[in-house]
Amino acid sequence: MSDRPNENHDTLPALGRAMLWVDNKNHVTRFVYGLYLVCAGLFLTDFLYRKYTYVDVENIPGFYAMYGFFLSVGLVICAKWMRKVLQRPEDYYAPKDIETEEYPATQLDRAVHDD
Amino acid sequence: MIESLPTAFLFFAGAAALYVLPKGLARGAMLLAVPVAAGLVIWNLPAGNLWTAHLLDLELEFMRVDKLSRIFALIFCIAAFLGNLYAWHVHDRVQQVAALLYAGSAIGAVFAGDLVTLFFYWEGTAVASVFLIWARRSEGAYHTGMRYLIMQIGSGVLLLAGTALFYRETGSIAFEKMTLHSLGTWLIFLAFGIKCAFPLLHNWLQDAYPAATITGTVILSAFTTKLAVYALARGFPGTELLIYVGAVMTLFPIFFAVIENDLRRVLAYSLNNQLGFMVVGVGVGTELALNGTAAHAFAHILYKALLFMSIGAVMFRTGTAKGSELGGLYKTMPLTMIFCVVGAASISAFPLFSGFVTKSLILSASVDEGYYIVWGVLLFASAGVFHHSGIKIPYFAFFAHDSGLRPKEAPPHMLLAMGATAFLCIAIGVYPAPLYALLPFEVQYVPYTTSHVITQLQLLLFSALAFTVLMRTGVYPPEMRAINLDTDWITRKFASAVITTLARATAVVWTGLATFTQNRLNTIIAGLYRSHGPGGRIAKVWPTGAMVIWIAILLGATLILNFVS
Repeated sequence: MSDRPNENHDTLPALGRAMLWVDNKNHVTRFVYGLYLVCAGLFLTDFLYRKYTYVDVENIPGFYAMYGFFLSVGLVICAKWMRKVLQRPEDYYAPKDIETEEYPATQLDRAVHDD
Repeated sequence: MIESLPTAFLFFAGAAALYVLPKGLARGAMLLAVPVAAGLVIWNLPAGNLWTAHLLDLELEFMRVDKLSRIFALIFCIAAFLGNLYAWHVHDRVQQVAALLYAGSAIGAVFAGDLVTLFFYWEGTAVASVFLIWARRSEGAYHTGMRYLIMQIGSGVLLLAGTALFYRETGSIAFEKMTLHSLGTWLIFLAFGIKCAFPLLHNWLQDAYPAATITGTVILSAFTTKLAVYALARGFPGTELLIYVGAVMTLFPIFFAVIENDLRRVLAYSLNNQLGFMVVGVGVGTELALNGTAAHAFAHILYKALLFMSIGAVMFRTGTAKGSELGGLYKTMPLTMIFCVVGAASISAFPLFSGFVTKSLILSASVDEGYYIVWGVLLFASAGVFHHSGIKIPYFAFFAHDSGLRPKEAPPHMLLAMGATAFLCIAIGVYPAPLYALLPFEVQYVPYTTSHVITQLQLLLFSALAFTVLMRTGVYPPEMRAINLDTDWITRKFASAVITTLARATAVVWTGLATFTQNRLNTIIAGLYRSHGPGGRIAKVWPTGAMVIWIAILLGATLILNFVS
């Protein structure tokens, strides 16, 4: 979702303009449905070819798909729990840390795209 | 002529030349010419011990050239070239000199045929690299650099101690395959482990890399840890312990990476995770596994540099690399976004990208040797790395919520460096034969089989599906301006608090004891003065002759001494 509703997109680089569809919720929803379809297709592919395997569990149809999906979900849920225990304010180690420091402006070039 | 010298000296000579060259084109050209010249020299070097020197009774081997050292030295040259190209705009002589000394030391260490030479270059990488952190020139960077230096120098001290013990035990300082049978080899192993960011010894990496300068982090990401991987591959191949150490390394950083806000620190965690794959390869130790380690190190240096470059370019334009502050940058930095996605696809091992043709060598080797649980862990870690490096990095930097920032595209030299690196990532993925030809052992492996492509796509796309579902259901943890505690909390807070408490307690006890003793002494002196002093009761009964007697005794003693002498 754009943070600048009245922005003139004509000044954006051509590649950036070509990708503006990602700001449209409907397009994103279609993209997500496309991902569901591709995933479903990949799952079903397991029934269509002879898989060469090293480990018995690989013979389970959709093993890699389920492994990738469920362990990724587990990863995120565990990480969220970890955050409850490990999260601290940004200035926790300040001033002996760079977290709350501004990056030195002299080492940057903060040019704006339509300047 | 330069072929007859250790290649590292070329970098040192280049660094010295930077002091006399004016800033701008001349220095920039020198920074690019040195790695190119070194790469050409290394490419044409024959195998063997090409340069030796004597120090006391020790024979130092500066140029042990074989396929293992050559591939690491070559990728170090490529990384130095790309890193220096990316840093073309930097005119800070400190960073420029440090970059050449650091790369030269890493290449020198790779060619070291003995442990003493290795030690000197090992410390060289530590000292040179810290200036890439300090060059940020802020208080936080200074303290972070000091912490980094303590760990790196500590690693060198352990290496030296281990070398001394190893020499006493075997009479040799040759840097060859070792076993963990003595204190000396354990110390050397630990020294390598610190630089390789083994679990619990790892946190210097996530602490220091995000604190370095924008270009410094790109340079840092290439050398230290991969030098350690090389050292392990040279010194401890087939050490079973490394399989389990590596498996843990692949696993725990991915949890931290998911909740980390600073995208350069996310990349540091994923760097740690990728090192784990290489360490597993060293631990398995078969020809396939060691090929996998070398190939993965080669590919990893490129895609990790590319990811650091792309987030560095974002930082160069916006001043921040924090996920909570970024988003929507694809609109004005589309080329940087594309290069970031190439790096993300490569680290995630998508077919046609470099990680696909290198990581699978290690997974296959582990399953070939019957390490099924480790294989399962590596598979999980592969899905995890796609989750946080493959999706999270590009998503939160370039898409997600629009931050409203509209920075200009990265400058041309950065785009050129990123483009060249991205090209190499894709070239290796599409046509891995030239990389396979550089590996230490002959490669029989075919990466592009139907099973491999489909199963890898299943793993990755279902991991993407999980990310999508979690994002759309609001379960995915949002990026927040906060930090997460890691093991460095033990030294930075806990140990510091313990030492402060102990110091305070010691001070209280010491002050109490000192006051008590002082008071007792004062009381005794006052008592004695009261009784024996001029006005004391005892003084009244002193006979006058007592003084005369004591003077007579002293004079007598003096006479006797004179007589005797």
